[in-house]
Amino acid sequence: MKPADLKLEDIKVGDSASFERSFSEADVVTFATLSGDTNPLHTDETYAQATKFGRRIVHGMLVGSLVSRFVGMHIPGKRCLFLSESLSFKHPVFIGDALVVTGTVESVSRATRIVRITITIHKKTGEEAVHGIAEVQVL
Amino acid sequence: MKTFEHIAEEMLHIPKEKIGDDLTPKDVPDWDSMNYLLFIAELERAFKMSFSMDEVMNAKSLGDVRKIVEARKK
Repeated sequence: MKPADLKLEDIKVGDSASFERSFSEADVVTFATLSGDTNPLHTDETYAQATKFGRRIVHGMLVGSLVSRFVGMHIPGKRCLFLSESLSFKHPVFIGDALVVTGTVESVSRATRIVRITITIHKKTGEEAVHGIAEVQVL
Repeated sequence: MKTFEHIAEEMLHIPKEKIGDDLTPKDVPDWDSMNYLLFIAELERAFKMSFSMDEVMNAKSLGDVRKIVEARKK
């Protein structure tokens, strides 16, 4: 898939896009290796079963990495310079959960070329897993 | 509602007691080019106004930025 190639002039408040993703056990193991976060809540099924979650959960920042995909591939895509993001983790994401990532343009600053995007990541079952704000500059 | 001072404090990390119109990037360690643009974008959102590119480029001090915001409020 090629990234979108939106120019600043193409983007307006209210524009949105979405995509779907789920994470496999291999994804979690790979992220644990890449990040060095091998916390047993993500990597040890026996440990995780004894917690209130009852099973391993996907790293919050692995789920949050979908924000990078959103801005880098969808809005604005190719011309994106990712400036900042803030995330709130509302509900745990488990291996195999089907997620829907939706981003909606909240503001567009023509003078600074900064676009602010509200991101929500919902489970297909309806729970909101992540809510966040991303700020990008359109190059 | 956020004030100009709140936004300057939040985005440029200027201690509240030091905020003044004569401040320039030389006086504020975190006033770099990107934080400045984020500051401007936050002002635009908070006050529902737009800067022009010339205004962004030509403002040299915090007071210059404040004058633009106050002119738009009138």
